[in-house]
This record gives sequence, C-alpha cells and structure tokens, in this order.
Amino acid sequence: MLDGLAHMLVTLGDGGALSSGIARAAAGADLIKLVPAITLGATAMCGVFAAMKVKSKLPAWFSVASLAACFGVVLAVFLGHDGTPRVAHAFDWINFSWTISENRASVTHDLVSNFAFYVDSLTLLWMLFVTGLAALIALYASEYMSHDVGAGYCRFFAAFNLFVFSMSCLVMGDNLLLTFLGWEGVGLCSYLLIGYYYTKDSAVAAGKKAFIMNRIGDLGFVLGLMSTYVAFGTLEYDRLFDLIGRGVDGAGQPITGTWVVQVIPFLFAIGAFGKSAQIFFYVWLPDAMEGPTPVSALIHAATMVTAGVFLIARLYPLFAADDAKLALSFVAWSGALTALWAATIEMAIFDIKRVMGYSTISQLGFMFAGLGLLTPTGAAYHTFTHAFFKATLFLGVGAVMHGFGGQLDLRRLSGVAWMRGFGLVGVAMLIGSINLSGVPGTAGFFSKDMILAQGFTTPGTTIWGAQAVGWILLVTAGMTAYYTFRTYFRVYVGPKEFTPGEDAHAHDDHHGHGHKEDFDPTTAEFDPHPPGAPMKVAIGLGMALTLLAAIPYFMGGHAARGEHAAPGGWVGGMVAHSSAAYNTPHEGFSFLGLTSHAAMYFISAGVGAVGLLIAAYLHGPKGWQGLWIGNRTEAATSRADALVPLLGRVVTFARNKWYVDEIYDFLIVKPLWVLSHVLYFIDQWVVDGLVNLFGAAPGMTGKAIRPTQNGELHGYAAWMAGGLAVVLLVVILVAT
Amino acid sequence: MSGRLAFLYPEIALFVATCVVMVLGLSRTLKARKASAWVAGLGLVAAGVLAMASTPRMGQASCPISGFVYHDGLTPAMGQVVLAEMVPYVKVMIAGIGLLLLLTMAGTVDREDEARIAAGQAVFDPLRSNRAEFYAFVLFSLTGLMLTASADDLIWLFLALELTSLPTYIMVAISTARNRSREAAVKYFFLGALGAAIFLYGFALMYGGTGHTNLNAIAQHFREHGVSTLSMAGVLLAVFGLCFKIAAVPMHFYTPDVYEGAAPQVSGFLAFVPKTAGFVALLLIVGAVGWEYAGHSAGVTSLFAGDGMEPVKHAAGGRQLPELLRLTLWVIAALTMTVGNVLALLQSSVKRVLAYSSIAHSGYMLVGLIAGPVGSTFTTNGVSAILFYLAAYGVMNTGAFAVLAALERGRDAEGHVGEAESFDDLRGLCASRPMLGWVLVVCSLSLLGLPPLLGFFGKLPLFSVGIAAGEIPLVIVLGLNSAIAAYYYLRLAFTPLLDAKDEGSAAIQAAPFKGRAVAAALSAAGVLVLSLAGGWLMTKAAHAGAYYPSAPVKAESAPISDEPAPLPNDVHE
Repeated sequence: MLDGLAHMLVTLGDGGALSSGIARAAAGADLIKLVPAITLGATAMCGVFAAMKVKSKLPAWFSVASLAACFGVVLAVFLGHDGTPRVAHAFDWINFSWTISENRASVTHDLVSNFAFYVDSLTLLWMLFVTGLAALIALYASEYMSHDVGAGYCRFFAAFNLFVFSMSCLVMGDNLLLTFLGWEGVGLCSYLLIGYYYTKDSAVAAGKKAFIMNRIGDLGFVLGLMSTYVAFGTLEYDRLFDLIGRGVDGAGQPITGTWVVQVIPFLFAIGAFGKSAQIFFYVWLPDAMEGPTPVSALIHAATMVTAGVFLIARLYPLFAADDAKLALSFVAWSGALTALWAATIEMAIFDIKRVMGYSTISQLGFMFAGLGLLTPTGAAYHTFTHAFFKATLFLGVGAVMHGFGGQLDLRRLSGVAWMRGFGLVGVAMLIGSINLSGVPGTAGFFSKDMILAQGFTTPGTTIWGAQAVGWILLVTAGMTAYYTFRTYFRVYVGPKEFTPGEDAHAHDDHHGHGHKEDFDPTTAEFDPHPPGAPMKVAIGLGMALTLLAAIPYFMGGHAARGEHAAPGGWVGGMVAHSSAAYNTPHEGFSFLGLTSHAAMYFISAGVGAVGLLIAAYLHGPKGWQGLWIGNRTEAATSRADALVPLLGRVVTFARNKWYVDEIYDFLIVKPLWVLSHVLYFIDQWVVDGLVNLFGAAPGMTGKAIRPTQNGELHGYAAWMAGGLAVVLLVVILVAT
Repeated sequence: MSGRLAFLYPEIALFVATCVVMVLGLSRTLKARKASAWVAGLGLVAAGVLAMASTPRMGQASCPISGFVYHDGLTPAMGQVVLAEMVPYVKVMIAGIGLLLLLTMAGTVDREDEARIAAGQAVFDPLRSNRAEFYAFVLFSLTGLMLTASADDLIWLFLALELTSLPTYIMVAISTARNRSREAAVKYFFLGALGAAIFLYGFALMYGGTGHTNLNAIAQHFREHGVSTLSMAGVLLAVFGLCFKIAAVPMHFYTPDVYEGAAPQVSGFLAFVPKTAGFVALLLIVGAVGWEYAGHSAGVTSLFAGDGMEPVKHAAGGRQLPELLRLTLWVIAALTMTVGNVLALLQSSVKRVLAYSSIAHSGYMLVGLIAGPVGSTFTTNGVSAILFYLAAYGVMNTGAFAVLAALERGRDAEGHVGEAESFDDLRGLCASRPMLGWVLVVCSLSLLGLPPLLGFFGKLPLFSVGIAAGEIPLVIVLGLNSAIAAYYYLRLAFTPLLDAKDEGSAAIQAAPFKGRAVAAALSAAGVLVLSLAGGWLMTKAAHAGAYYPSAPVKAESAPISDEPAPLPNDVHE
C-alpha cells in the first residue's frame, strides 16, 4: 500500500498522469498569485473584524479557511508544475529604464522589480509546508488564543495572515527586492507577534531584541542586494541565474575569482545568519519564545527562521560560482559550530520551551552545515522534516503550557502523558522526540543522515575542513538525542506530579477560560486543562505529517522511469529542478563495504542510541518507562544532579547560556552607549548649530521677501508689471 | 469640419451637460436643482470615456467612434501635431480629477438657505438659488480646460484659457458668504485680466513674427526660418502671461490671498484647473518652438545670434530650447520653487501653506518643460514628467484640500461657518477623525515626495530628465527645495498624527457633506494605489509625451495666409 502511495506521489511530483486533466488545466503557475492576494485580504478582513469589534472566534475560522485555501492553491500549482521555472507576473511595481552614453555608445540600464513570482520546485517545496503548517497552526491557535477573544484575537490573526503574506513574497519573489520586502515583512510580523503580550516587559524587550538583531543581519542582505545590482545590473532571478550560468557579470566580464563571487555570497550569508539565528546572531531566538506558542511553532521553528536556508538555496548558483567555495566553507563551519553551541546550552537549561528554541537553533545549524557541505538537497529535506516535527513538538509544549498555567520548568512536571486528556500530547511528543533525536526509520533520521554523511563525503579540498564539520555534527547528533529525551523522560513519563505555573509570571498569559480560580498555585485543587478539539486535531495532524515526512525519502524522483534515484528522494527531485540544483559529490568514504549514506545510517543510529540511553539512565523513571535503567521517582531530582558538582562551573556557565548576552552587553551595548552619548553631545552642539544655521537661511529669505506679499492689489500688479519689465529690458539689451 | 469635431467629442459632451445643468437651474423645485450635481458628474464621466475612445491618435488607421481617418499615416490633418499624443491623456486626467473636485463641491453654495428650508423656516425661492449655476461654472471651466488641450490655434487657445478662468472668478466670489471671498475674487479678476493681456500680447507678437496663428504652421515656420526676435518676444510674453495661470514668479502674488479667501474646495479647484490649463498651454507654445536648438554645452557665445536660434537637424551637442527662452524659464523655475517654499515656511494657515506650495510645485514642473523630451522613456521625457506630475499633483492636492473642506468650526459672531484653517485646528485629527486625519497624512507625505508614495514617483522623472538634459544646477535647486518643503509638509502630516487634541482643535467638527469626505478618501486611495501600482499611468504618460518635432504638417487652412507676414529678419533692423 505504501508503495502504491509512493508511486502515486512520484507521478504527481513528476507532473505525470494524475496531474494532467482538470488539475493541470486549472493550475497554471499564474494561479500562485492568489496566495498573496488571499493572505493580504485576510489581513485586511481581520482589521475589519477588529473595527467591528467582533467578539467571537470568527477571525480564527476565517484565517483557517483562507490559509487552507492558500494551501489548496499551492497544491494545485504544484500538481500542474512540470519542473520548469515560471514567472507569474502580478503587476508592475518598480520598472525603470534609462539610457546613458558610455564611450560614445548608448547603453540602456534598467531597474526592474515587479510584483512577479518565480515559481520553481524550490518555491513550491517551501510554499507547501509554509501554507500547510500555517493552516494547521491557525486551527491550533483558534483555541490556544481563546483567552484573548476580542481585539487581541483580531490583532493576532491579522499579524498571522500578514506573516504568511510576507513569507509568500519572500519565497515566491521573482527578484531580490521583492524577496527583501518579504524578508522585512516577516521580520515585522515576528516583532509584532513576539511582543503580542505588550504589557509584559520581557515580551516587549524580546521583540525589540529580535528586531534589532535581525536588522544587523539585514545590513548584510541589503549590501548583498546592492552589490548584486552593481555587479549584474539586475535583481531578477531568471536574468541573474542566466548571467551566473554563463559566468559573466552584467557588463559581460567573467566573474570567476572576482569580488563578485568572493564577497557577495558572504554578505547574503550574514543576512541569512541574522534571520536564521546562526552564530553571533542567535541570541534573539530563545527570547522570542516570549511570544504565544503557535507563533513559536510557525514562525520561530518551522518557517521564518528557515528563510536564511531558503535564501542561500535560492542563490546557490552565486554561492557555488566561487571555485574556492570560501563562502560555503564559512556557512558550513558557522552551521556546525552553532549546532554544537546551542546543544551545550540545551543540555543544561530547565525551561522546556527554551529547550525547543535552542534546539531550533541547533537544527538550523545542521541545515546551514548541509548547505555548506554542498548538499542543498539535504538542507532542504532537513528543513522540510524539521518544519513538521518541530512544529509538532511546539504544539505539544504549548498544550502543556496551556494546561498547567504556563508551567515550563521540567523539574516541576512529570508524567504528563498519563494525565487525563494529555494522552495524545504524550504520543505527539514521543513522535516529535524520536524524529528530533534521529531514531532510525523516522523522517528526522533520514534528513539528518544526508547532512552527516555529506560531512565525510565532500572532499576537504573543496570545502575547507569538511571532515571536521562532519565530526562536530556527529557529536551534536548524540547530544541532540540526549537533550531531547532528557525533556521527554522528565516531563512526559514517570510518576504523575506537577506544580501549576504562576499565570502572571508565565511565558503566555492565560486569563480566563472561565475558571480563573484554577490558576491559583496555592490551592491544591488545580485541575490541568487538557487541550480541546481544535488543538487535538492540529496536534494529531502535525503528528501524522511528521510520520509521513519520511516517505518522500523513498520516492526516487525518476525511479519510476527506471533512472537512478536522485539522492533525497522526492525532495531531491524537487531541488534538482530548482535554482539550488547542485551536483553533490557522492564518492566518499566507504565503511565495511557500505556506501557513505548507508554506513552513516548505522553510525548515527549508534550515536543517537548512546545519547538516548544516557538520557534514560540519568533522567528516566523507574521501570519500563525509563527503559529499565532509570531510577527517577519524583519530578524535581534525578541522577543528573549528582553530575553537577563533578562538572563544576561548566554547568553553571551553560545554564546561563555561556553568558553570551552579558558578553554582548559588555562588548557591544556598553561601548555603543558611551559612543552614543559622545556623539549626542557633538550632534547637539556642533552639528545642530551648523544645521540650524543652514536651516535659518530659507526662513530668513522668506522673511526678506515677505513684504512683497502685502495683500494689496496695486502692489501685486506693480510687481507683476515690474518683473515683466525687467525681463523685457534684458531681452532688448541682449537682442540689440 | 467633421474631422475637427473628432477631437471635440468630450468637450461637446461636457458642454451638453453644462446646458442641461443651466436649464435645471431654471426649475422651480429644489429637487430638480439638486440633480444638477449628478448631471455634472455624468457629463464628466461621458467626457472621460469619449476622450479615451474617440480621440484620434498618432499611427492609428482610423478612430473607433468618430470614424476619423488620418492622412499620410502619422500625421493628423487637424489638431496640433507636435505634442498630439498628450491630448487624450490630458482630457481623461481632467475628467477623472474633475470628478474628485466635483465631489468636494458638495454644499458650497446656498448652504444657509437650504438649511433653513430643511428646517421649515423658509420656502424655496427659485430666484435666490445659485446651486445649478455654480455647477455650471465648474463644468464651463472644465470644458475650457479640455478645449485648451485640443487647441491648435492661438486664438482658440486664448478663448479656451479665458473660458477656463472666467467662471473661476465667480466661483471664488460666491464660494463663501464672507467679504474676504469677494476681495479675493476682485484681486483674482484684475490680476487675471492683467495676465491675460500679457499672453494675448504675446500671441499677437507671435502672429506678427510668423504670419500664422495655427500652431502647426508656427512650428513649421520656426523649424524652417528659426525664431525671429519679434517671435521670441511674443513667446516670452506668452510664457509670462501663462505664468499667471500656473502661479509662477513673478505672476504668483495673487495665489495665497485668493486661495485663503476662497472656500477650501474652490482653492483645490484653482490649484488644479488653471494650473493644468497653464501647463498645457505652455507645452503647446514651447512645443511649437521646440527643443531642437544647439545646446549651451555646444559653446554658444551669443544668446541671441541667429545661429543659436536655428534649429539643429542632427544635434551633436545637447538639444535644447533657444538659449534665451531656456534662461528665462530657468530663472522662473528656480525663483518659483524657492519663493514658494520659503514663504510657505512662515505660514500658520494651512490654506496659505498649500497655496505657496502650489507655487513651488509649478516650479518643479517647469524643470520638465526646460529639459523637454530628451528621450522617449518615462524617465527621460520632460513632457511625460509634467503630464504625470499634473495627474499626481491633482490627486494628492485635491485630497489635502478635501480634508480642509470636510472640516469646519462653529459659527462666528456674524453667523458664518468657520473653516479649519490653522495648523492648530488639525491637532489630534488622526485620533478624533481617523479617516480624514490619515488622508491628510498620506497626501502631505505624498506631496512632500516621500518614497514610496505617488509624489516621489512624480518627482523622480523631473530629477532624471533634468540630469539627462544637463541642467545640473537646476536639479540641485530642485533637490534643495524638496528638502525645504519637507519642513512644512512634515508639519502638515505630523500635526494631525502626533499632536494631542486641545481645546482649539476640539471645536473642529465634520462638515455635514458626505461628498467632501468621500473625495478625500478617494484621493488618498488613489495616492496609495498609484504609489504601489502606478506603472500603467507612467506608461500612459510616457506615450502621451511623444514629441514629433519634424512631422510634416498639413494645416487644414492657413488662416489669414493671404496677408503678407512681416519677414522675420526685418525685425532685426
């Protein structure tokens, strides 16, 4: 049966038999224009609902319906897509051309940046999971945000729809400027939604931090965008890829070995690092967990933070055009170090939502490492699977927060899966966890394997230190299994025990549900509030999709026609038909006669098993739930506590996130503060003085000529006649 | 004659509507008279549609509605040739913005009377009602404006310009019940007569210099014989006279007084209609002279030597206007921008600020006139730049005036309804009346030229065409003036947005006329839509600015051609 399904999907993916007929006739690439239109319309409608003071869940249902419609549109376009990139032109936005003469030849330049959408397989891959998950998470949020029905509810869904609009501009833009518009748009929505609880200082601060850190990365994007225009004279992808494919810049000069390929990719990489929370920039993402959990699930786990991966995949020809692959080596190393760094922090902290936040950073590190290791397919596939399993994990964590008054401390929760109404959450968390830690047979296992194996396959001569990157990733994979199951063993299994969170000090404020008294932590009769139907449906669907995400790995792009299966299966086939297509090196090490990927199945499974067993030993409950090696009997303590004195300060440091925020404060914020005060002084007394001097000139001119405007008819007529007389006098003088 | 009529379908439609409105003005019931606004609107819609559909275009084999057929492929037998393509564009623009202006006119006259009738304190007196006549004046003025665009003859042009202006004098006088409106009307009338006298004198000298009143014939004469001193004097006088219509230095003095004295909606009308008439007439006159003369960069030493005045067939250096005309326009443009902006800085009355800024905007547009059609694209054709800017200015400026018209303060001691006039009156408008407040914010920022709003896309080609024509110093003046304008436009945008409401602005209430608020909203919507998706209008403007300097001209009849024209060269002696 699975074979049949796989075969069906293969044919769909190939634009074969099933996609002909109605679907194909109805679904030209032009249809994709509906997605931004629908989402923007939905944003406006949420504004209208707010203006009408709607006090029901109408905005949520409206959003779910419109996002589901978007998913339908994307699916229809996908079914009708034959692998050739298309441009769907919506309307002209910026469209200038001018002619200047250079060396006696007139040269026409243009600046074209229209609302047009570049539809290739990479676009569709991203849009499929963006719109699909957005619809799912909107459904989840309809219940999760129900404490705020009214103005806040409309505001939430307006920003939510605006986010999907921006994301569709980012992913589908046919030029860098439209991509940048979407890029800034998602940044704005992220800021709005992190700071959703705007009365809470920490949420406001987190929103600002995310915004500012992102702006620093955006500087790289903007510089890259402008440099691209300077070098290639265009911002449109099809023209850009054509030029890069021919190895020339806009003036027809070869680009090999010039600044074009050596500098521009670094600029875009910086931009990508900012958005995707990579090394030096990652500090905003853990704080972004201040936002409502559906936001964390959609924006800060599944979609927006993968925009950096998308950007590099979209511009892969530019990155790959450098023979020395300097920028890609930089990306690979940054990704690997980020993955390792975040994993060390996760192993020490207790806040389960922040664990998920750091885990996202770590997994994004894997994706970047994949891009750097020349396997955009691996990166895209890991993005794809990660979107599903991380969203599921976040939805599960959200259900716990929702149910226990915002409690997130893993020392205060135990055996949640056994409590009434939380069974589904337990199962979902287990499925998410086995994917995240890479248990064999799961989607996460296969996608991570593609990247890990590539570390030992890509020659170190191409990507500097590829093997070292591979080792770092392998160690991180073990740590991932440990910290994932540490949370799972502590929170979801074991003896039933909990302390409800203090509503007011929680990450999410939950006012109401009509039984506010539940949230008084002093009363012993706190009743956990199990997720309702919409949340359960969303969690269940997320779980199912996570499980199904493994299937595409076995759907060879062209296997049906007897060709060699593209690595990465269906996703590989999609990537191979997009801008991210790259001839990934295959021939690498072999181990016990197995190919690199097959060998890595066993190695990574072994490493993951070690991490999992350590977690079970240190944190697992007594009995089968702890795989018979754990001995935890209460929520607060475990064997790991004994390790803390042994490791000494290391744990304290990791628990305090290696004091990176403090270091940034000391190295960057404080000096900037001093500098700003010095500059303010200069500005106040020197610059302003000069400006005021110049600024006074127009005013003084005005005062000088004001008397001419005295309101007297005779005066006016005299001035008019006088002006005319002066000019005629000049004419006569000059002419004779 | 039917050929010439093909150009005039929109004007005919508008004139028919005007007659219907005037007949309605004789009716004995208020209800019938109230229909006049609707008839006027219908007339404008019909004129716009006809302008789009029936105007013959260059290169078109035959015209769909009028069945008009061009002779010789490119050349129309009637109408002026040099800038023939701008005619339909200008007429459609007039119809569109005319509709917006018509909406703002709601309740301008007879307000007190009709309020009394509605309250049952009085009965309708057919002799006292001016409502229909007022709308007839609006339509007459717009008809004149369209006729200006159709003009191919100096006499026609003069009559059309006067038809545009004469009704506005009365509109100013009756727009409010205050004495200051009458004072404004008197000033406007006398100074307008002075301006008309000047350009009429200019037209007369142009006829004297060339022996033609037909613009095509004049253009051909200039191409063949150069611009004689007499003709140049005529052109300069015409330019000066038309400066009155566009409110440019030194003919700008009336602007603030008249705009302040008239009701805001009538001021908005004055800021668009006569200005457009003036620019269209300037384009016709200057277009007849042509931008075909050896440039200052080519090292012309004498300003007025015969060589410098000869059109160059294949210019090696820059092509430009005759040096003297260029210099005159240059000085006028620079002075107009600067005077308009620096005086706007000092004002506390919003209407006066908008009046002075209207002067400044004329100065900006003159840059396009000086540069002329350097190339044929939107960013290199000064004519297109002017045509686009006129439309953009019409939309955003009407929005700003419509907001002022939609606001009022309580009655003063004499029982007159007060206007929202000063900046203080606008404090906190975005909070108290969000729609009007935001319209004002959007329109002010657009007038300022803040990207990515419409005003920015209007100003951009003025800069680029100035640079393309090598007028770098003038472009620098333009840039400096845009910066000065920021001061008062930001004040106009931020007073409603950032200042809190106080007791002064609390007295401001909405005027009881929906049309004005609707016009404001439509203008702001137009600004936003054209800002984000105005590419089509730029394309239209680029086409409308097409310049045919050397198209063979076939005047239907060279009027009075049997009279011997004075030979141009005789004048030198």
